[in-house]
Amino acid sequence: MDLQTTPLNYSIETENLSLWYGDFQALIDVSVKIPDGQITSLIGPSGCGKSTLLRSFNRVNERYGNVTTKGKIEVLGKNIYDPDVSLPELRKAVGMVFQRPNPLPISVYENILFGLRIHSAVGSLTRTEADQIVEEALTSVFLWDDLKDRLKVRATTLQLEQQQKLCIARLLPLKPKVILMDEPCSALDAEGTLAVEELMEALAGTYTFLIVTHNMAQARRVSKECIFMFLGELLEHRETQALFQTPEHPKTADYVQMRYG
Amino acid sequence: MQSIALLTLGAVFIPVWNVLTKTHLSDVQTSSIARVSDPLPNLLSDLYLFLSISFLAILLGVTCAFYLEEWLPQTNWIRRLVESQVALFSGIPSLLYGLLVVTICLPYTGAFKAIEASLSVENLDVTPLSATAFQGDTTLFYAAGLTFVLLVMPRAIKATQEALRSVPMPIRESAYALGASQWQVLMKHVVPLAIPRVLAGGCRAMSCALAAAALFIGIYIWGHTTQSGQMSSSFALFLGGALLLSILSSFLAERYPSVSM
Repeated sequence: MDLQTTPLNYSIETENLSLWYGDFQALIDVSVKIPDGQITSLIGPSGCGKSTLLRSFNRVNERYGNVTTKGKIEVLGKNIYDPDVSLPELRKAVGMVFQRPNPLPISVYENILFGLRIHSAVGSLTRTEADQIVEEALTSVFLWDDLKDRLKVRATTLQLEQQQKLCIARLLPLKPKVILMDEPCSALDAEGTLAVEELMEALAGTYTFLIVTHNMAQARRVSKECIFMFLGELLEHRETQALFQTPEHPKTADYVQMRYG
Repeated sequence: MQSIALLTLGAVFIPVWNVLTKTHLSDVQTSSIARVSDPLPNLLSDLYLFLSISFLAILLGVTCAFYLEEWLPQTNWIRRLVESQVALFSGIPSLLYGLLVVTICLPYTGAFKAIEASLSVENLDVTPLSATAFQGDTTLFYAAGLTFVLLVMPRAIKATQEALRSVPMPIRESAYALGASQWQVLMKHVVPLAIPRVLAGGCRAMSCALAAAALFIGIYIWGHTTQSGQMSSSFALFLGGALLLSILSSFLAERYPSVSM
C-alpha cells in the first residue's frame, strides 16, 4: 500500500455498514474503500458475508425482504440510501454479474439491448444504432467473431462461457462505472474461467471491478487489492500479494494457507 | 402424447358442437310458459349466470394472485391468510362443491315447486316475465353463486401463483440488476413466460365449475323429469365443456413446460 503515491479515488465507500436478515446479522461494522478502475477481490469462507456486501452495493439484496441496513454506503460519492436515489439509475451505474450465467431467455441481440431499452424511451433507438451498440458490446467481450452470425439465437442455448461473457457484455451499453461479480467463474470450466479473467483484465481501467471468489488462485491472479472477510466482519484489506504472502490477521493466514475454508 | 390429446379434443369437440348448434335460445331464455311447464330452462339461466360469475371470479383470482405473489412480501399477514384459505379450499374436490350446490339448491327446488303450484294457467300473464327462478329466496341465489366463486377462485389463485413461481429467479434477478422496474420485469419477462400456465390454471378452474354445473343438472334432471333415458343437451354441453377445458389445460401445461435455466 505504501507504493501508492497518487491519491486514489474511490468508487465505493462504506462506513460502519451493518446488515441484518431478520435477526441474523450478516455484516458487522464494515468500513471499506474500493478504489477506482481496478479489480478488487473479496475472499473468505462460505457465509462470511461477501455476497451480502456485494449485493448491498446495488441494493439488490433488498428484494429478499426483511433486510435492515445501518451505516453508510457511498457509490460514486453518493449515499445510495438517500431518498432521492433512483434504483434503476443506481443499477445502471453499478452492473452485476451472477454466479450462474443468467441471460434472459430472448435472443443474444435483444439481451444486449435490454438494459438500454428499459432505460430509454420506446422507439428512441434506431436500427443502425442498435446494431452498432451490439457489435461494440460483443467485440469488447471477444464474442463478436463467434456470435456475429448467431445474433438471433436464444441466449440460453449458448455455451456457459459465452453466456457469462454475454452477461458482462449486456452491462456495457449502459456505461456502468462499477461491475460487481458474484463468483463469476464458479459455473465455468478452466478454459472458460481463464477467458473471463482475461476479459476482466482487459476491461479493468475502464470499469471498477469488485469480485467475490472462492478461488484463491483466481484472486491472486486477477486482483490488485484483496479483502478478507470472516463471519460478517472485514478482517483485512490490503494489496493482494501482501495479503497472501504476509497476512496480518491469524484468521487470514489460516484461510489463505488453506487450513480451512 | 400431443396427438392423443388433440384427437381426444376433436372427439369431444364434435358432440359439443352438435349440442351447441342445436341449443336454441329458447332453451336458455326464461319465458313464463317454459318456466311453468319445464323448470330446467330456469335453472339453466341461473347456471349460465353462475358460470359467468365463475369466469369473473377466475379473472379476479388471477389478479389477486399477481398482487399476492409480486407485491406482498412472503411474511405479510394478508398473504399468509389468503394462502392458507386457498390451500384449504382448493383441496376440496370439485365433486363435493357440486354436491354442495345441490344441497344448497334443493330447498330452492322445493320453493320453486311451490311457486309453480301457486301459478295457475289463468293468472299466467300477470306474472312478470322478468321473474327469476330464485325470486322465492334471493339469499339462496347468492349462496349458490358464492359456492361457484369458492370453487373456482382458490384454484385460479393457486395455479397463477404456481405459474409465477415457475419463472426462474435468475431471470428476474438479471432484469432487476440491469435496473428494470418491477413493472418492466413483470410485463417483459414474467408474464410472457407464465401466461400459458396461468391460462392452463384458468381453464382447469373453469372446467371444475362446468363439471359442478353438469353434476347439478344431472342430479336435478334425474329427480325431476319424466323423460327418462334422454340426456339433457345442456348436461352434455356442460360435461363436454368441462372435458374440453381440462384437456386444453393439460395440453397447455404440456406444450409450455416451465422454463429452466
